[in-house]
Amino acid sequence: NAKKRKDFRTLTTVINAGQHILIEGEDEDNPYVAKVIRLFGDESGKQKKAVVQWFVRVSEVPLSKLKLLGREPHPQEIFLYQGRSCDDEVNAESILRPVQVKGGSYWSFWTPLCLNLLENLQVLNSDGDDDEDEFVPSKKELQSSSDEEEEEEEGALESDEEEEVLSKKSRRAAAGSCTPRSKRKTTSTSARTPRKTPNKKIPPGTPRTPRHATPSIPSRSLPARRPGNVLEEARARLHVSSVPESLPCREQEFQDVYSFVESKIVDGTGGCMYISGVPGTGKTATVHEVMRCLQHAADVDEIPPFHFIEINGMKMTDPHQAYVQILQNLTGQKATADHAAALLEKRFSSAAPRKETTVLLVDELDLLWTRKQNVMYNLFDWPTRRHARLVVLTIANTMDLPERIMINRVASRLGLTRMSFQPYSFKQLQQIIMSRLNKVKAFEEDALQLVSRKVAALSGDARRCLDICRRATEICEHSPADPFSTGLVGMSHVMEALNEMFSSAYITAIRCASLQEQLFLRAVIAEFRRLGLEEATFQQVFVQHRALCRVEGLQPVSVSEGLAACQRLGACRLLLLEPSRLGVLQRVRLNVSQDDVLFALKDD
Amino acid sequence: MSKRTAKDAHLPVGECVTQVGINQDLSSVYNFSDAQELHLLELLKRTAIHGESNSVLIVGPRGAGKTMLLKCVLRDLLEDKEAQKSLLQVHLNGLLQTDDRIALKEITRQLHLENVVGDKVFGSFAENLGFLLEALKKGDRSSSRPVLFILDEFDLFAHHKNQTLLYNLFDVSQSAQAPIAVVGITCRLDVLELLEKRVKSRFSHRQIHLLSSLTFTQYLERVRTQLSLPDGFPDSRFAQDWNDGVKTLCGDKSVEEVLQRHYNSSKDVRSLHMLLMLCLSRVSVAKPAIKPADLLEASRLCFADAKANMLHGLSILELCLIIAMKHLNDVYEGEPFNHQMVHNEFKKFLQRKSNSMYNFEQPVILKAFEHLQQLELIRPVDGSSAKTQREYQLMRLMLDHSQIMEALQKYPQCPTDVKQWAMSAFG
Repeated sequence: NAKKRKDFRTLTTVINAGQHILIEGEDEDNPYVAKVIRLFGDESGKQKKAVVQWFVRVSEVPLSKLKLLGREPHPQEIFLYQGRSCDDEVNAESILRPVQVKGGSYWSFWTPLCLNLLENLQVLNSDGDDDEDEFVPSKKELQSSSDEEEEEEEGALESDEEEEVLSKKSRRAAAGSCTPRSKRKTTSTSARTPRKTPNKKIPPGTPRTPRHATPSIPSRSLPARRPGNVLEEARARLHVSSVPESLPCREQEFQDVYSFVESKIVDGTGGCMYISGVPGTGKTATVHEVMRCLQHAADVDEIPPFHFIEINGMKMTDPHQAYVQILQNLTGQKATADHAAALLEKRFSSAAPRKETTVLLVDELDLLWTRKQNVMYNLFDWPTRRHARLVVLTIANTMDLPERIMINRVASRLGLTRMSFQPYSFKQLQQIIMSRLNKVKAFEEDALQLVSRKVAALSGDARRCLDICRRATEICEHSPADPFSTGLVGMSHVMEALNEMFSSAYITAIRCASLQEQLFLRAVIAEFRRLGLEEATFQQVFVQHRALCRVEGLQPVSVSEGLAACQRLGACRLLLLEPSRLGVLQRVRLNVSQDDVLFALKDD
Repeated sequence: MSKRTAKDAHLPVGECVTQVGINQDLSSVYNFSDAQELHLLELLKRTAIHGESNSVLIVGPRGAGKTMLLKCVLRDLLEDKEAQKSLLQVHLNGLLQTDDRIALKEITRQLHLENVVGDKVFGSFAENLGFLLEALKKGDRSSSRPVLFILDEFDLFAHHKNQTLLYNLFDVSQSAQAPIAVVGITCRLDVLELLEKRVKSRFSHRQIHLLSSLTFTQYLERVRTQLSLPDGFPDSRFAQDWNDGVKTLCGDKSVEEVLQRHYNSSKDVRSLHMLLMLCLSRVSVAKPAIKPADLLEASRLCFADAKANMLHGLSILELCLIIAMKHLNDVYEGEPFNHQMVHNEFKKFLQRKSNSMYNFEQPVILKAFEHLQQLELIRPVDGSSAKTQREYQLMRLMLDHSQIMEALQKYPQCPTDVKQWAMSAFG
């Protein structure tokens, strides 16, 4: 056994092979944990190195993988790390001190679906300076550590003591005060303090503070009904939310994104990509599909494992919340925006001995715009750092977003890896519906063609296409039974659905308006013609209105009556009005074309 | 004897009549097209029972029965035990929840999520949003309870910053998360143009347009049913008499004319309801029936011009000033005027008269002028700064000439020379 000595706070610590050690990392409070396998000196003999087996703390395990555990982990719990992307040689200088590890076997996330049982580890020799931090697990913990897949790590840290005291104080203060303001999350390091503090009875009458509120919608007592017939089945399949087996018509884009991300993961480098396209062209769906495939590849060890994080500009209240969300997804930590930015900055710029590639998807990028653009700047700057290993995929609607809203230093960092998703053509839309329906025969061929042609001509939005089809199935279901019909959704149903969704209601609204309202619209047009302008005051229009009333042989209207009709038309936005406090002086404009109004009023 | 029993029956009935007027279920007045009601009912049923997410907008002018349609549909839906047990409802109103922060708190409160204690919602805006989205994301189609979001005055939500709330609600309704149905109610026909592109794409584009194509005969019928007493009325004899009275009332020529005028003015059910309430309020024990005169009187009240009524309360001096302004408007074709111009115009009128009945001091006239401004019969021209002296501040008249003339006709004891001055073409 090679032995080596290391200065540590003026004390000398002896490290042996087989011992568990702490290694300094980016987070000072939570150093890395590893087990020494072999110690050696390099060629020159000056520098000592150690070959280690890495462990990961709970906080380092990605949340997605943490779910595989199926139970709540102890905050001090550690797990065997078997990923291959990390260097297992460390410099001796980076070793902080040895620690004791309790418990039996290791549970590893990196060998999914099988328990990795190692020999039971006994507490190894520890030096004097560790004793003061010795922590005796409570009975409960001992019980749980007898569980086969549990182990306790002695977080031998001075800071623990301080935090304990602090959190005790705050807890007491919280229990004493009546205001339910103390929604304090226990930090991971002080998680065992509540057991030591005597359980204080909260005085009755004060509401219980939600300390560990879990976000959830209550579950229903009766399970949701399954679709009963062909049309219902088709409708369920056509819902935008149903995940299709594959994404047709986006093979090329899929391939491009896949190879981009894969190459970055394999090389361990970083990069940015900008994806644009009008809404409903499958941008987010494609990226998700790529990530699913890559995750699968990582699971079967074809590529190194990676983190996937997703943020959406629309799902945050402020651009700076992006940092908070990224940090929370990465480490599960909660922090304020500024603190989170600092932590992320440190994480992405410092070299860590082992680090997985992080893939970050930023949806609705344009919402992250700030005046100084520092959020976008950081997002695109981090991937360029040497040790960041960060891949950023950004999505927005407009193709020229980088040129339009970004200042040069941001646009330059985003780079030129761009991709634009074209609106779907009618053939593609048809194919999408067919693949979703997947042999459920609910539509006539012609009907499908009509929908896809219509949508392709309007916007090429796949969501619209699916919604129309869904509505058509409903119309078909409720249409009177026709002895000659096939029971399938036909042309007439699709036509009706299209009419419902795309026809403007202005003309019907004018036809359904009351007589005085119609007269007022006529008066507006007459006054516009007289003035040669597209705007008139109510007073001017009212003169015409009274004249029209005389022509029609009606009682003359009073000003209030005319004003009321005008306001009603303004409320449905047939007219555009100035604020009503201006009374008779308010200016009136039409919100529909004059031809439309005349057309609507012509028939009667 | 018969007289006494009749009297006994009348008193409570007199009260009942008013109550019938107030409590009458307006849903009977609306006749929704079956297709629309069925569309909405089926849609909500599928959310409640099958866990399918949906979004829909109900669009129609004010008083068209949008909320009533939703209410009727919900009543029908909740008769189903299965739907009643599972459906959660969140009611929001654009006039109350004026920004997303308030709206989110309200949603969280109404859903009783776990960060709610009593009536308070904990956490910052960002935390609340994250919490709600996380909650909805955790749900899935088959196991979590469906949530119905009703957004009244939907167009106002579209004015919130970035339309965050709408984006997220519609996004949830289009992805495999907790089943939700978003029902928006609005009177703006151009509501879809208010939505941002990406929000619009996520909306399912289902719109239910409620436009009343009511004919006058239907309108009359509606008045009749609205006034008639139901069969289950306690005093059947009184009900019989009353209903006969209503029938003759509706047959009356003058009544028909009044109703025609109301129909021409607006098909809105609420304004009709207002008119009928005014009629009903004139029913008393002594006069247990609606007479045509009541309806005429009520209609006169409804059509009364508020501004012209206000003129009746002015002093002669103030009236004279208004007339001077009218002449100025005639001469200068609606250009703004100031106090000095009005005063000069008034002086011209006085010079032609020998008597000194209206000789007022300058400060008195200025005071009267200011009073008119306080009544908002005149208002300063926008942009004319407060720096200018009060006498020279430019003003506009907020009255139409027809209103002035109408008011002069009805003004109690209006001096003849003032009347003549108002009628004369040249000031």
